[in-house]
Amino acid sequence: MKMPPYLLVLSLLMVTKVMAGEKVNWRGFVAQGVIQAEHSNYIEDDGGVSVKLTEIGLNASYTLDTNLRVAGQVVYLNGGNRYPEGVRIDYLFLDWSAVNTLDWQVNMHLGRVKNYHWLYSSTRDVPHTRPTIVLPQSIYFDNFRDVALGVDGLAVVANTNNDFGDWEFNWSYGKSTISEEQTKNLVGQISTGDLDQRFVHQANFVWHDQKLRLGAGLLDSGFEYTQGPSDPFFDGNAEVQRLMIRAIYETESWQLAAEIFRERTMYDDLVFPGFSNDSTGEGGFVQGQYYINPELTLTARLDIFDVNRKDRDGRIREQQSGGTAPAYFGFQDQATFGVSWDFAKNWRVQAEVHRVKGTGRLAPVFIPNTVLNDRKYWSIWGLQLAHWF
Amino acid sequence: MNFAHADGKSVTVLIHNDVKTTELTSAQLRKIFSMRQTLWPDGTPIVVFVLPSQHPAHQALCKDMLKMFPYQVERIWNKLAYSGLGEKPIEVSSEQEMLERLRTTPGAIGYVMENTDFDNAQSLKITGG
Repeated sequence: MKMPPYLLVLSLLMVTKVMAGEKVNWRGFVAQGVIQAEHSNYIEDDGGVSVKLTEIGLNASYTLDTNLRVAGQVVYLNGGNRYPEGVRIDYLFLDWSAVNTLDWQVNMHLGRVKNYHWLYSSTRDVPHTRPTIVLPQSIYFDNFRDVALGVDGLAVVANTNNDFGDWEFNWSYGKSTISEEQTKNLVGQISTGDLDQRFVHQANFVWHDQKLRLGAGLLDSGFEYTQGPSDPFFDGNAEVQRLMIRAIYETESWQLAAEIFRERTMYDDLVFPGFSNDSTGEGGFVQGQYYINPELTLTARLDIFDVNRKDRDGRIREQQSGGTAPAYFGFQDQATFGVSWDFAKNWRVQAEVHRVKGTGRLAPVFIPNTVLNDRKYWSIWGLQLAHWF
Repeated sequence: MNFAHADGKSVTVLIHNDVKTTELTSAQLRKIFSMRQTLWPDGTPIVVFVLPSQHPAHQALCKDMLKMFPYQVERIWNKLAYSGLGEKPIEVSSEQEMLERLRTTPGAIGYVMENTDFDNAQSLKITGG
């Protein structure tokens, strides 16, 4: 795991505080489950039943003075093919309270900061904070998890309120490290080069009152690919621009949430010198949750994703690939039903089923695996036990 | 002593005797209990004490004072605690423990049912907004 020098400094700071016996706030979670995504390589290549549904995290924070603290979390994740397995620093940053008054709070984070811009992005690996084990793949695309999780860089989080309601503003700039395994998942298994995120720039704002919450955000990111030895791919660039909108309505016994996006992706070179592609995808979900009581929640969701809004059924892509990429790689629509039960304090068991049409959110992204993903319709089921402290 | 709160409220918000702020809007109180506002205006760190989520006083605090549902407050705390944004409040097991911690912790804020006797803390006036 590559670690920027400042993360090492922050790690040492935390370790020395812990060893000195100073007051450090600890929290954590541990979760294990069983999951199957039959007729796809989403979890296992053979589509079989898997126990690769492990999420463990330990976090700590230390207050340096009234306006300065350091916070960090280490996680171990095993999600099968969903993302690379292993231990990673989830976040580790200096948190400076630049403004801390009764009506305005502005915090600046420096280090490895989380993505606070989307509805579930900042705690997507924390089982008891999310509605389902598998999040809507249109937005929370698991193969893009490590890139979308946060950045090594700078973030600003601001809160205020006025007569119209409460307002939140988030801004961040930085880049993520992309591992070799993830490069293969995104570009293709036969690639040997390096994929680097040059930058990602995000901003969003949220307005809310007691029941209604509305938000909108923008993302701009640049990627650079450097050809490796005997690499079928070439040096190239990609730029991604995304617009996201969300709305949530909450009552005491139910919640309705929707998050949608439009994303423009531009490739230059990469496939061959002079290659160029500019396409726009769309997607999003509508989700209803019903709280039978404080412990028991039912969730139903419809998630839709189209790789290219001008080719929603994937036919054009199929023709252009000479039939090697079937049309159902052009979309992925997913219906989900789940139940979660908090059966004891800080314990939850969660179960869900998904019926999926299309394979547009299965890895590898650029050159699809048509051998393992040979069905237009496939299913996922999962069961997970989680404990947090 | 400034003992006043809006009509129909069944919970009293209490603060440590040395805290100089005696009146907050509902929005300001929401920022404190959602752990975004961490300092009193004089620079003293705010120490937030809460009762278990099923306790009637906690339910009343959320709905009547914070204008939120208890599960919304819980979600905010979880997001803070597991994404590095902030800390969870300190949970106490009873109103007696709440009163004791309010008495002994500078900068403390907490709450009890409105008919609970308290001597060693001051009540906070909550206005609309």
